[in-house]
Amino acid sequence: MPITYDAMKRITADLYSWSLRKVPDDTKVALARARDAETNQVAQRTLDIMLKSAIAAETSDRFVCSDSGVPVYAIGLGTRITIDGDIKQAVVDGFSELVETIRPPLLKHVTNPLTNERGYHGRDMPIISWDMIGGADYVDITCQPKALGSGRWAALEIFSFPSLARIEEYVMECVLKAGSQHCPPVVIGVGIGGSFGHCAKMAEYATMRPMLSRNPDPTVAAMEARLLAATNLTGFGPMGTGGDTTALAVHVEYASGHGFTPVAVAFNCWINRRTRARLHDDGRVERLE
Amino acid sequence: MIRVALPASRDTIRALRAGDMVLVDGEITITAGLPTIQRLVECAAGTRRLPRPLDGAALFHLGSYSQETADGGLEILYMNPTTSTRFNPLMPGLIRHFGLSMVGGKGGLDAECAAAMAEVGCVYLSFLGGGAELHTAAIREVVSVHWSDLVAHYRLVTLRVEGLGPLTVGIDAQGGNLYADLAAQAAAKMPGILAGLEAQRREQA
Repeated sequence: MPITYDAMKRITADLYSWSLRKVPDDTKVALARARDAETNQVAQRTLDIMLKSAIAAETSDRFVCSDSGVPVYAIGLGTRITIDGDIKQAVVDGFSELVETIRPPLLKHVTNPLTNERGYHGRDMPIISWDMIGGADYVDITCQPKALGSGRWAALEIFSFPSLARIEEYVMECVLKAGSQHCPPVVIGVGIGGSFGHCAKMAEYATMRPMLSRNPDPTVAAMEARLLAATNLTGFGPMGTGGDTTALAVHVEYASGHGFTPVAVAFNCWINRRTRARLHDDGRVERLE
Repeated sequence: MIRVALPASRDTIRALRAGDMVLVDGEITITAGLPTIQRLVECAAGTRRLPRPLDGAALFHLGSYSQETADGGLEILYMNPTTSTRFNPLMPGLIRHFGLSMVGGKGGLDAECAAAMAEVGCVYLSFLGGGAELHTAAIREVVSVHWSDLVAHYRLVTLRVEGLGPLTVGIDAQGGNLYADLAAQAAAKMPGILAGLEAQRREQA
């Protein structure tokens, strides 16, 4: 049974709608743990309010944040699937239909960068990255809406044969620059190596990893732990008004490259919006997050 | 928790300290739009008509979804803060011209804004980003919506709220400034943080 236009349209629209209403379970657990560990009284209260807000939105089936951002998808196509219809157009059409029907309605955040006019539609919207998944008989779809706290403070710089010290220093420079601005505590994604575009993609995908998952490479996992502890020594804290919890997780990915080594740093704000599902070629929808 | 009823006296505002948490009652005016703040600058300059008085007002960087109800009234479906630093260059003039008593949103404002706030007796309140349900629950009445030619979150909306918050005083009117202090402290800590990373790398090598 093929992956159809209709199934793709429905699931991509649903993933975006779901992502606006629920803080992922692993993130709520991480926030609660951070609350217990916090030594700063303002931060303790702020984390309490965050958890209260997450539960309120989920219970009432309404948006956690008024800034619904713009829809961004990472879509992995299994190499064993068959396709019936234009599943690329299905994502566009699903979003178009959603903005007409979703309740409560969305604010207009799709922005023409040349005029700053805002609406529900625009060139290349939704933003989709397509990958192939070897041997899989499903489509794996992650939706991560991007707004200021989850998009504005990302950065990339290209170095020549940098040391690990320089790479980690750059990550900390990005943490310092973002400061109180990105609705901390954040998830930080770091990409190292590859090319300009691939590195940025690694960093963005790294923010989509399950909370507190560790890179399987022990060297990289150690870097993740070091950078998380270092970030939380800065003291910006929840909502940037002080505390021990500036980041909930740091996820690092790397790829081989040429020696000109890009380092990319991406952030996802405390609500850590992401949803994920698999569309199987027997028609089943498996919601993973 | 400190409860502040608006309009508040300058003494009440000046008594607030960075790090205090407050609940706000009374009338607030909100917008998340840069074009809106630019229009307010024009109003202050006398080149555009101000649609409602803002003297001593609480002007917050909050976006909202406003719509007409079946009976011709207005309702706010949800509201939430936006990043205040986007408005840094325009806020000192507005704070001084209107003698604003409160500003707020998320992320704070810069040193020039803080100086204007200290002059007039104004505080910056930090709202929880991602707090739409909690903030919206405090709305008791939509007082007015102006500049409806703009997209919903850019409109100039005045609301009567009850128990809005808790909100954290990020910048007070006495020179207290969590954002400036934390940024300076983080920058000062950075050599030590980097040395710690180096020590861990050596240990783990």
